[in-house]
Amino acid sequence: MAMDYKGPIEYSIELAVEKICDLLKASYFISKRSVALLLLQDDEEIREIVRKNESDTIDDIQKVVKEAKAHFANPITYELALERQNEVRLIIEKAVKIKKETIELRERLSRLTMNPITGIPILLLVLYWGLYKFVGQFGAGTVVNFLEGTIFEKYLNPFFIKAAAHIVPWRILRELLVGEYGVITLGLRYAVALILPIVTFFFIVFSIIEDTGYLPRLAMLIDRTFKKIGLSGRAVIPMVLGFGCATMATMVTRTLPTKRERIIATILLSLAIPCSAQMGVILALLGGNPKAMLIWAGIVGLIFLFVGYLTSKILPGERPSFYMEVPPLRMPSISNVITKTFARVKWYFIEILPLFLLASIFIWLGVLSHLFDFMVNLLKKPVELIGLPAEASKAFLFGFFRRDYGAAGLYDLNKHGLLNGVQLVVSCVALTLFLPCIAQFLMNVKERGWKTGLGISVFILFFSFSVAFVVNFILTRLGVIL
Amino acid sequence: MLKKQEKVFLPDNMSIKKIAIVGNPNVGKSVLFNVLTGQYVVVSNYPGTTVEVSRGRMNLEGTDYEVIDTPGMYSFLPITEEERVARRILLNEKPDIVIHVVDAKNLERMLSLTLQLMEAELPVMLVLNIMDEARKEGVSINIQVLEKELGVPVIETVSTAGKGIEELKKRIKSYGNGL
Repeated sequence: MAMDYKGPIEYSIELAVEKICDLLKASYFISKRSVALLLLQDDEEIREIVRKNESDTIDDIQKVVKEAKAHFANPITYELALERQNEVRLIIEKAVKIKKETIELRERLSRLTMNPITGIPILLLVLYWGLYKFVGQFGAGTVVNFLEGTIFEKYLNPFFIKAAAHIVPWRILRELLVGEYGVITLGLRYAVALILPIVTFFFIVFSIIEDTGYLPRLAMLIDRTFKKIGLSGRAVIPMVLGFGCATMATMVTRTLPTKRERIIATILLSLAIPCSAQMGVILALLGGNPKAMLIWAGIVGLIFLFVGYLTSKILPGERPSFYMEVPPLRMPSISNVITKTFARVKWYFIEILPLFLLASIFIWLGVLSHLFDFMVNLLKKPVELIGLPAEASKAFLFGFFRRDYGAAGLYDLNKHGLLNGVQLVVSCVALTLFLPCIAQFLMNVKERGWKTGLGISVFILFFSFSVAFVVNFILTRLGVIL
Repeated sequence: MLKKQEKVFLPDNMSIKKIAIVGNPNVGKSVLFNVLTGQYVVVSNYPGTTVEVSRGRMNLEGTDYEVIDTPGMYSFLPITEEERVARRILLNEKPDIVIHVVDAKNLERMLSLTLQLMEAELPVMLVLNIMDEARKEGVSINIQVLEKELGVPVIETVSTAGKGIEELKKRIKSYGNGL
């Protein structure tokens, strides 16, 4: 076999390699040359192996490594990568022919997605068509209306209520199962008829985006912005997922390498990324008022950057590093998208369903013990403080447990003309910043531990009301009429 | 090296040749692994890590092979835990053949790892996978020239459609007897 390939490397590296090879006495499964090159690149695992095997010469070896490194301004890894890429190019020139147009088109498209000037409009288009039109309007609108309004409200719920009336003799227990906030009539319905379709549609979009190779490009595009808020391009996936369901996205923060990044991501997800349910409510409330919508988006965007920047300054720890291989753009395959979507929906459902059932039980307890009435009263003051009618407090509390109820509450207030433009913006800002739902709260605690999870949630509670207060104050003072 | 000698005591491993499949993520390593091994597959965490490694058996005309599907690696200098495991498999398990699978469409991006594997004097075979898409995109690769330039066997495959697999098996069987 012709296995005597020696990579073309810079002379002073070559010299160091030769010296190290002479000093390596033991036999390794791989060539001494390769061992030497890895040592020069600070490979810790190899260094440990060599340290064990070469007790006599290890000091000399380390010296050679140190001298060689002093030779270069760049890391040796970089120098080697450059040399190798040159070698590869030579081989490719001889053995590979590529028809020009295809590669140019692909390459051009790829660059467009990563260049901020064109990349951000492309991102907005993807968000508009993928999230707003497909997931929001079609998934969360049309499909959910059918599943919830028709299947559950007309057929399933009446059936379960009737069945329970026959089987369960105690009223309190019946309430738990099929009451207004029952495990079946609320928890299961919410999970199956509302969350399941939204998340399924979201995952379809996500899988398509992923399959095309757009995600790593997006990561490159916003890496610099994210670095300023203590995250890196890697956080793109949890953040994008957050637009679908913040609870699920919080679970995905596990993929972030440091605890610091995970905490920052959790805060931002809970605070400033509206999940699809929140988005639905907000679009319904602000849909007819573009100016109000713009103000809302501006405020939430600013808060996202500001809080991220602040937490990254406060939290100790190293700044993240990020490097990502950008795979080629390609047409997504349908079977791939279906398989991935199915696997994800299944995973999501298994993780989330128990949280929704648990939430139903909490609500049942809250209503039963009159704790809710108490809390609604407690919330009236802060709600009035941010310039909203006291009736909105009920919408906020219940919205925390049951998004649609909170929405309906605000929607009703709006319909009855109780909210003016400024109040609409204020309530939407508060609603966005507020924890999206109890499942999110439970997930924060589950992923970040009791102390951090609870801390984040309490912070968000106060922060969202404070911001709403300030927004109300400024808009009213400026005499803005929306 | 003194570590990892325990494997030798297993009688199986005396006669069985080992094949490690390496390469970037998403180039079709696992599909190739499945095509080669069929049903006898064990998936387990690599010792001391959370990274899953699949192992399977293949029989070619009376010779048994253990095939190892390694986690994705971009470079012989590892950054992630996956890459570390992939390299550890190469170092500790001393495979008789290392099949480097690449996406034929992006040969330029992937050939650097081939060079590094060769530099380490590992017994490399290069598999150009996803050839169908490469052709569709107007990429044509002269296998003879590539083999000559690299000095290792080069095989074209479309592992999802089973194309080129017979040729690959033939080359595995004759590996070590010249190109």
